[in-house]
Amino acid sequence: MISRSQRIVIWGLVWIALIALSAPTLVVIGASFTSGDIITFPPDGFSLKWYDRVARAGELRAAFFRSLWVATICTLVAMPVGTLAGIALSRYRLRFGNVVQVYLLLPFTIPLIGSGIGLMLVFGAWGALGNLWPIGVACAVINLPFIIWSVSSSAALLDPDLELAAANCGAGRVQTFFAVTLPAVMPGVITGSLLMFILAMNEFLVSLLLVDARTMTLPVQIYNSIRSIITPDLAAVSVVFIAVAAAAIALLDRLVGLEIFLKSK
Amino acid sequence: MRYTGKGLTRRGLMRSAMATSGAALVAGMPAGRLLAQDEPEKPSEIIVRAWGGSWVEALKAGVSNPFTEMTGITVRHDLTEDNEIQPKIWAAVAQNRMPPIHVNWDTTTNATKSALRGVTEDLSDLPNLANTTDLAKPVGLDGYPIVNTYGYVYVLAYRPEAFPDGPPQSWRDLLDPRFDGRIALYNDGIGFHFPAQVAGGGSLDDIPENMEPCWDFVREIKALNPLLGEDPDFTAWFQNGEIDVACTISTNALAAQQNGVPIEWTVPQEGCKFDTDGLWVPQGLPENELYWAKQYINFAISQEAQQVWLDGLGLPGVVPGLTPPEGLADDPSYPTEPEDFENLIRISSEVQVQNESEWFSRFKEIMQG
Amino acid sequence: MPDRSFRYPLRWHVMDALERGADILWPATFSRMTGWLLAAPAILLVGLLVLGLIQIGDASMHVLDTSTFRMSEAYTLANYADAFTSAVYFKVAWRSLLAAALTTALTLAFAFPYAYAMVRTRSATVRKALLIALFLPFFIGQVVRAYGWLIILGNNGIVNDMLGVVGVEPIRLLFNFPAVIFGLVQYMLPFGVLMLAPALTAIPEETEIAAGSLGASWPRAIWHVILPMARPGLIGAGIVVFTLSLTDFAMPAILGGGSQDFIANAIYDQFFRTADQGLGSALALMLVALGSLIVGAVFTLFGAGTLALGARK
Repeated sequence: MISRSQRIVIWGLVWIALIALSAPTLVVIGASFTSGDIITFPPDGFSLKWYDRVARAGELRAAFFRSLWVATICTLVAMPVGTLAGIALSRYRLRFGNVVQVYLLLPFTIPLIGSGIGLMLVFGAWGALGNLWPIGVACAVINLPFIIWSVSSSAALLDPDLELAAANCGAGRVQTFFAVTLPAVMPGVITGSLLMFILAMNEFLVSLLLVDARTMTLPVQIYNSIRSIITPDLAAVSVVFIAVAAAAIALLDRLVGLEIFLKSK
Repeated sequence: MRYTGKGLTRRGLMRSAMATSGAALVAGMPAGRLLAQDEPEKPSEIIVRAWGGSWVEALKAGVSNPFTEMTGITVRHDLTEDNEIQPKIWAAVAQNRMPPIHVNWDTTTNATKSALRGVTEDLSDLPNLANTTDLAKPVGLDGYPIVNTYGYVYVLAYRPEAFPDGPPQSWRDLLDPRFDGRIALYNDGIGFHFPAQVAGGGSLDDIPENMEPCWDFVREIKALNPLLGEDPDFTAWFQNGEIDVACTISTNALAAQQNGVPIEWTVPQEGCKFDTDGLWVPQGLPENELYWAKQYINFAISQEAQQVWLDGLGLPGVVPGLTPPEGLADDPSYPTEPEDFENLIRISSEVQVQNESEWFSRFKEIMQG
Repeated sequence: MPDRSFRYPLRWHVMDALERGADILWPATFSRMTGWLLAAPAILLVGLLVLGLIQIGDASMHVLDTSTFRMSEAYTLANYADAFTSAVYFKVAWRSLLAAALTTALTLAFAFPYAYAMVRTRSATVRKALLIALFLPFFIGQVVRAYGWLIILGNNGIVNDMLGVVGVEPIRLLFNFPAVIFGLVQYMLPFGVLMLAPALTAIPEETEIAAGSLGASWPRAIWHVILPMARPGLIGAGIVVFTLSLTDFAMPAILGGGSQDFIANAIYDQFFRTADQGLGSALALMLVALGSLIVGAVFTLFGAGTLALGARK
């Protein structure tokens, strides 16, 4: 039913978007295989020497696993909190709803530097700095609107009559929640959680203020190690990171199917 | 702030501990003959903040690795930028927490701010200070809250291809329209203000009272749409042919050159800013870690450490008798003799810290306009 | 034979216990407040930021003493006065607002067809490819990504090389306002698509077909049928993109060449370059107020976007 002109316009725009999204990634992947000492594209000869160097950098590996842990904590915190809030905002009429909305958007309206300084002072006063969990919690806070909104937009698709029907059939409130409401918002929960995980893996500005040399995460490590010159090992690190991410996404696809992102029923 | 009696007592105790173990300090580090029974307990590692890239590599080779060999204490490097670690240290001291690092490698200007704020430990009892030149002593501060470790010059780095008739003689040479969009300066204009004051027809004696000539010259440069950035930007821009000239620290130009980027540098007739970097120890460390942090700095100003560390940076040190690195002996970015300093501009840290935010905002005002 | 072996499954017991527990902890008479109960954890978590804002608010009311680099004891509004009377902050604030508005419009213009194609395509492979293309760019850090752009769009970059083949002199594509907008749109696109996709999923394809069979051309069908139905998603995506762009720091720093600062860059300078936490705090709070006012106005005018759709009547 899609007309030819429609197809051309839509796919034209999609291709522009795809090129803009992928071009720097492709260049960086290409540049990481250079045999020269500086990042260039097309690469200057082919070699794996920068990968060899990355493989031998124990600090980078440690930082990578810390980032993984931070992202896990972030997701574990954000998933329940964001899911409940998303349901609350979409299925219940709250008094002063607009005020709550504006409040829950604070993570986006506060500039990241402000959030970073503020969280550093708060966690510092509690004596919590020096651990990884404050970084995970911080990542959960600053990206919370993403999961709230992806859950609530899934919840908005749920017909309220379904919940009433469940109640009519004798289901209690808890059972209705677990049997009707939660499955309906699952796509939003998964999209939101994945986004939270990915963003926490890559967060550097707020983390910068919360890490120390013993809790350095990978994005902060990369950001900090650029001083006088950008060497191809940073491109290689990025490529390894992309490869790990791609593997994780493929695994997720096998386990739950990526389709779940887009299908609500 | 909450630095009350408790903290003071602790520091007082520490001082007396220092006095009794004075023998160890006098014996000094370079020989590495510390009497075991006088040494405070060794931490398994200390954390030193450093700049990344060629900077940290030079520090490792000259100071950190030999220090580890001598003491068995691992040195971990925190590569957070100096500007970005500052609020972290200040917050830690204000909240009576252990600071995130043991030793801060810092610009003297930034370190002076920390010293004025009172978050630095006193370093005046380091034995190796006896063998240092005047450069090591911070100007306008009591004692040694920081120890300067070398000097450096904000040179005019340029692409030789863009200057077929030889290096630029004057900062005013940049006003040629062919440099439209091809000049790079630091984001806050650091390093550029003082030569601009001269190039704008003003006098250095008028700093800070009358900087109008400087702002006039900055406005003239602004008309040429300069790019503003930080060190890695400059290297990337030179490398990709985006710019022809930049006002940058000679070490970065040297690192870029060593990585195959075709650049040279010069000190134009109006002069270039000369400044120093230093090392300092933040307050709030346990006594034994404080002791070893100070030993690290003491070692860093020994001749053997300076020779290797500063060879890597290509910069002149604070102990006499260093051999200049190859090719830099007569370089304007490597001043050693009094006459070498004639063309360099040195403004006291005191004046700099008091006025820096004003200068930065004036610079920004012009550049954002 | 009567089925005497029948027992309640364990699940039922658990569920009954849970229901009873819920009745004790949260009697049905509280149900008007259930929404608040569910929102409470999020409100508490965001409370961490509010605690930080309180500290920042306190700092904003003290001025920096450059002889001690500590904040003055006395409370004052001098930092706010400075910020309000400064022409450069006004200019920077105006630039941030303009950029956020432009970025929002452009991002939605590209995110809408992207999300539409992703939701409507019949091929699972295409759908997955489109989805993965959204996520991968996150994994090269901003600085490395910026370097990638330099290689592509720089004076000696790929695009200028191609232009050179057709005889066009190298053009400066980077380090200006359009470059910052381009970078922001590219960065925000995945967020826009992910926020829009569920809203588009909710629109039955039949509606569109019906519009078509009633004689509407496809642009008219999109304009009169799809866009209004997708409005909650558009508003939600728009708010996310707008607020994130308004407070962005990295793109102007990286692609602006230093003369395209946003408010967040001015805040960075105060906190990190001049150590003036008072002025930095004042600027930060003013940015929060500005963003919240705009978001509040949008919620009031258009309803709370995605969120209003399914609320209980």
